[in-house]
Amino acid sequence: MDYKQLWQSVLVEIELAVSKANFTTWFKDTRIVKEVDGVVVLSVPNAFVKEWLIQKYHHTILKSLRNLDSSIHAVEYVVNKEESKRRDDRDMQGALGMKELPLPDNLINKDDNLNPRYTFETFVIGPFNELAHAAAQAVLKSPGLMYNPLFIYGSTGHGKTHLIQSIGNHVKTANPGKKVFYMTSEKFGQDCMNALQNQKMSVFKEKYRKYDVLIMDDIQFFSDKVKFQEELFHLFNTLYDNNKQIVFSSDKHPHFIPGLEERLKSRFSAGMIVDIPPPDEESRIAILTTKARQQGLVLSGEIVDYLAHSVNGNIRDLEGAINTLAIQSQLKGREITISDVRSFVKNNTKPKRSVAIKDLVKIVADFYSIEEESIYEKTRRKEVIKPRQVIMYLLREDFNISYPSIGQKLGGRDHTTVIHSCEKIKVDIKEDPTLSQEINQIRNLLAV
Amino acid sequence: MKIECIKDRFGEAVMRAEKVSGKNPTLPALGGIYLKAENNTVSIKATNLDLAISITIPTKVIEPGEVVIPAQILSSFVSSLKKDKNINIETEGQVILIKTGDTEATIKTLPTEDFPIIPLIKDDEAFSMPSKDLILGLKSVYYAAAVGSMKPELSSVCVAYGGDGLIFAATDSFRLAERKMKVKKMPHFKQILIPQKNISEILRVFDSIDEDISISIEENQATFFGGGVYLTSRIIDGVFPDYKQIIPKETSSEVIVLKQDLVDSLKTALIFSDSFNQLNLKVSSVKKLFEIQSKNQNIGENKHQIQAVVKGEELSISVNHRYFTDCFQSIPSDSINLRFSGQGKPILMEGVSDKTFMYLVMPMNKL
Repeated sequence: MDYKQLWQSVLVEIELAVSKANFTTWFKDTRIVKEVDGVVVLSVPNAFVKEWLIQKYHHTILKSLRNLDSSIHAVEYVVNKEESKRRDDRDMQGALGMKELPLPDNLINKDDNLNPRYTFETFVIGPFNELAHAAAQAVLKSPGLMYNPLFIYGSTGHGKTHLIQSIGNHVKTANPGKKVFYMTSEKFGQDCMNALQNQKMSVFKEKYRKYDVLIMDDIQFFSDKVKFQEELFHLFNTLYDNNKQIVFSSDKHPHFIPGLEERLKSRFSAGMIVDIPPPDEESRIAILTTKARQQGLVLSGEIVDYLAHSVNGNIRDLEGAINTLAIQSQLKGREITISDVRSFVKNNTKPKRSVAIKDLVKIVADFYSIEEESIYEKTRRKEVIKPRQVIMYLLREDFNISYPSIGQKLGGRDHTTVIHSCEKIKVDIKEDPTLSQEINQIRNLLAV
Repeated sequence: MKIECIKDRFGEAVMRAEKVSGKNPTLPALGGIYLKAENNTVSIKATNLDLAISITIPTKVIEPGEVVIPAQILSSFVSSLKKDKNINIETEGQVILIKTGDTEATIKTLPTEDFPIIPLIKDDEAFSMPSKDLILGLKSVYYAAAVGSMKPELSSVCVAYGGDGLIFAATDSFRLAERKMKVKKMPHFKQILIPQKNISEILRVFDSIDEDISISIEENQATFFGGGVYLTSRIIDGVFPDYKQIIPKETSSEVIVLKQDLVDSLKTALIFSDSFNQLNLKVSSVKKLFEIQSKNQNIGENKHQIQAVVKGEELSISVNHRYFTDCFQSIPSDSINLRFSGQGKPILMEGVSDKTFMYLVMPMNKL
């Protein structure tokens, strides 16, 4: 029996025993928050109700609970903190034509930097991120012991920040005593810099060492920053030795973050490294449905399928699409139809990419640090063959250029050579993670 | 229960309690005032489950006991008694008998067992400050809080400790008021948010009490205690926006005017203001001019030049009359300093040579 059912059954019993007035006044908005070792924690709307239930109904409540579940032996009461129902009755009269003060969004808790919006309840799990989610859950079970550090990487908009902040928020609610802290690596760098300038390094060190769970976002910004890496290294060692959980996120696998010191890389590898790849179509459908529900938008299955198929890109793009459709539906005062969605997609998706083959060649050649000209030459030197094959693969896969014209543009090669190269890279990618990382990085370079 | 006490003292306490009593149709006891007589005092309690008050006054207790009486009836009756000095109250079964020199009344009572228990906060290190300062702090800002907003932290007054004193602040996101008050002792809380709708009760209750008020905080509840009055209010669990970052640091134009001149011309401008309460301010340092304009298509328009010291760039900006005027009651000095930082940026208002009060108001989009 879950908490809700349990409490419902108790309420039914109590309702029979007390007057209606008393019941509605004192038992409205009460619920069971949790039950640990036979102690039930009851959430009540305010201090008056708490006092009243303790003084007048404690025995009745406990007895009813025990009738249903004999392992319960105590009840505790807490005043509900989420009482502040965000009501929608803003008075618009004075507001007409008024600009608002640019007050900062105060959702973020100052003590731990966590944004309470990011929780596991709002996290959509699909095949693409279930491994990362499972790793996060494992960390929650035994923070600091199981996977330490937890390193999550993936491209922007794949839900890294959501996942790692959820870990923080979960730890915070489950163990109120634990000190959780979330920050971006940029903030860490700034702090470090300030401390250096003001000669307060010891304060800085002290500050970060007191946390039980430290979450650091976007660690890739540390590339080539030697001093920050050194500080992070020492901080990491202290926390790790004390079995404090550390969670990192980055847009790349640690091995591919340029300018990251070997000792840090090897330490990151000691824990768990998980990748969040782009969401597959199935997950995109799930995400769209969830986001639409949050916006109060009703979308038919056909529309969701169409959107999931045609809005390529990360979760943020999907979110953006939903937001736009929600506003359209509000303005038009009717539900969104498939033709609305079609015109939205037409106007908002990125045009098919095109690229000058010369630019691609230059980027790839630079990436592998070889001469640009050698790509076009007839040479079969090993260090040239691979980049050349990568170029052919990318031209074919990403830009849909025909085999013969690829061959022609790259120094008059036969189209069968091109086909062979593309097939080879396709096979190699599956077996060689380094290659797939390299290709991803080249793709990122191309996107800029 | 049987007591005898000074009518004025009893009446005053009942009046205060009556304002707090609730109007809850499901639980009639909430619309009542609870009296409890023991140890030569009577405590008078009322609550609406959001705010609760308990007042203890010295009384001659002939027979201890407790009773709940409909608040409005009791308060109206007691305040209608003019001449009498003493009042006798006695329970007789389901009614209460109230007697003074020449008046007598019986009032039906409500069941005592339904009256809520008022949560008492035990706090040994309560923070205390003179009631005058508390009242002044709250009064200076509470009008700027949002009335029934989506964001509970905006429909409340924030009391926080900062620098060398308490900072009272409130904003409804269109304007912001901040008042600093010096205190002798550091409070044990960092920040509390008192719901705006409870502020007027707090002001009314403590306005006539000239003593130190001690403030205790516990689990979503703040308690004010002073002069025999114990008032407890729900507090909001949230964080007040960090408004320090939006206070404009640079000034593009500055105007110094006499407060009275400005208030007078605003009164004139109000006659011509439109349904949006739009008020146009013109600042020109070249012509040494500060002008207030308002117009209403159905009535006409009005221009008023005010003698002022004007510095900086030319500017023409619109504000909401009501939001602009609200702050004058809280500015202690005779002259006001208006600082503009350009179109679409908030206007900062302060008293000249007074750093205790600050008001920010956003301009309007020109209609």
